[in-house]
Amino acid sequence: MAIILGAGIIVKLVLLLLLSFSVVSWAIILFKFFQVQRAKRDSERFMDFFWKSKRFDAIASQVDRFANSPLTVLFNEGYSELKKVVEPDSKSDGSALSTDLGGVENVSRALRRATNSEITRLEKYLTFLATTGSTSPFIGLFGTVWGIMTAFEGIGKTGSASLAVVAPGIAEALIATAIGLVAAIPAVMAYNHFQHKIRVLINEMDSFSTEFLNIVQRNIAGK
Amino acid sequence: MNTRVAKIDTGTFACASFITSAVIHLAVFLFLVWWGRLLPPQITIQETYFVDVVNLPTVNPRSGSSSLKPPEATAMISRDPMPAMVVPSPPGAASKVVAKTSRQEAAETESAFEERMARLERNSEARHEESVLEKLRSKMKAVSSQKTAKLAASGVEAGSNYANYIKSRLEDALKITSSYTTKNPEVSVILTISADGRLSRMKIERSSGDAAFELAVRRAIDLASEKFTAPPNQSIFENGFVFKPKGISNGTSR
Repeated sequence: MAIILGAGIIVKLVLLLLLSFSVVSWAIILFKFFQVQRAKRDSERFMDFFWKSKRFDAIASQVDRFANSPLTVLFNEGYSELKKVVEPDSKSDGSALSTDLGGVENVSRALRRATNSEITRLEKYLTFLATTGSTSPFIGLFGTVWGIMTAFEGIGKTGSASLAVVAPGIAEALIATAIGLVAAIPAVMAYNHFQHKIRVLINEMDSFSTEFLNIVQRNIAGK
Repeated sequence: MNTRVAKIDTGTFACASFITSAVIHLAVFLFLVWWGRLLPPQITIQETYFVDVVNLPTVNPRSGSSSLKPPEATAMISRDPMPAMVVPSPPGAASKVVAKTSRQEAAETESAFEERMARLERNSEARHEESVLEKLRSKMKAVSSQKTAKLAASGVEAGSNYANYIKSRLEDALKITSSYTTKNPEVSVILTISADGRLSRMKIERSSGDAAFELAVRRAIDLASEKFTAPPNQSIFENGFVFKPKGISNGTSR
């Protein structure tokens, strides 16, 4: 405590900054952890449900149960686009073939857009973790360098370079680097972890889109 | 509808995790404070005092008192006027006083008696002191003639005392600067101190080759030489000192 209160104003500011970085990055870690966890669990349950049910409208009525899964967003988007394509199609039979092909393209585009927006949603705030991981050691180092500069000024003033004069200044300077590392290490670890988890979710979304388009194309072609 | 539900969930969830994170940080901080990780023992910066243990009561090293005094003797000597008054008194004086006392005992008041008693005690104290001093002097002579035979120009006692004084200063300084890289480093140095107490010459006569220790010795000499007093009798003092990490011994002079 004394070591922090005794430090200079710049070192204190650096410590404060690092502390806020740490608080925010841990908040993001917790938030992302539960978000990704739920997305994964709901996706698994949704896929089970998807393969068991026969009809899209039955799935659409039940889809709210898996609200945390990005796949449900994809499904909703794809289904609503499909409805828009199919409904005018059922009225006039003449232009069926041309709209069929266009309809699949539309659904595909809708799915791609939904996938992109879901990726954005999942990756939101992760950049802060990356920033914290890469910059807070440097911020801490800055605090240390500044602290040691002031310590040496103190030595110059007292005129003695005994360990008793040098040691407290260096100790309070090194605290900044320590806190920088404390903030950075979990941030980097969490960033890598979530990157991996989100990549898995993106793969799931891609394969789900392909499956969805296959089903749509099969049904339209089979009509 | 689905997206709306998810959004509300996200907002509250983000809030909750932020608060949780802040609480965790506070808890960790309090834990560290409690554990004392952030409260290292206060480092107090103390002024270094050069306490000359060997010649503690000697104000001026040139006055030539003996070294290696037991504490009771040194305490007495520091009270300056009393020994000056008592020491010259011949041994017969005390017995005379005693005889006088026996003759006039009846007529005396109690206060006068007490006063005489005090004087008597003082006399015996002085004699005791004298004998202690004498004993110490002879002891010192023996010691100094063994250890530091021919040191400075001003007689064995004063010279040995000045050499011891310098040695003690150097030891104090070496305690601060001491550092060495080899096992048993040894550096012998010849110091010349001019009549005004300035270190006029310093020559490293022999060294075991430990550069760190050599540097430490140089620094110790520099540090100590700031506070040297002038050698006795306006003479030039020259002496060899052998520096070892454990201490300094008087080397052979020239």
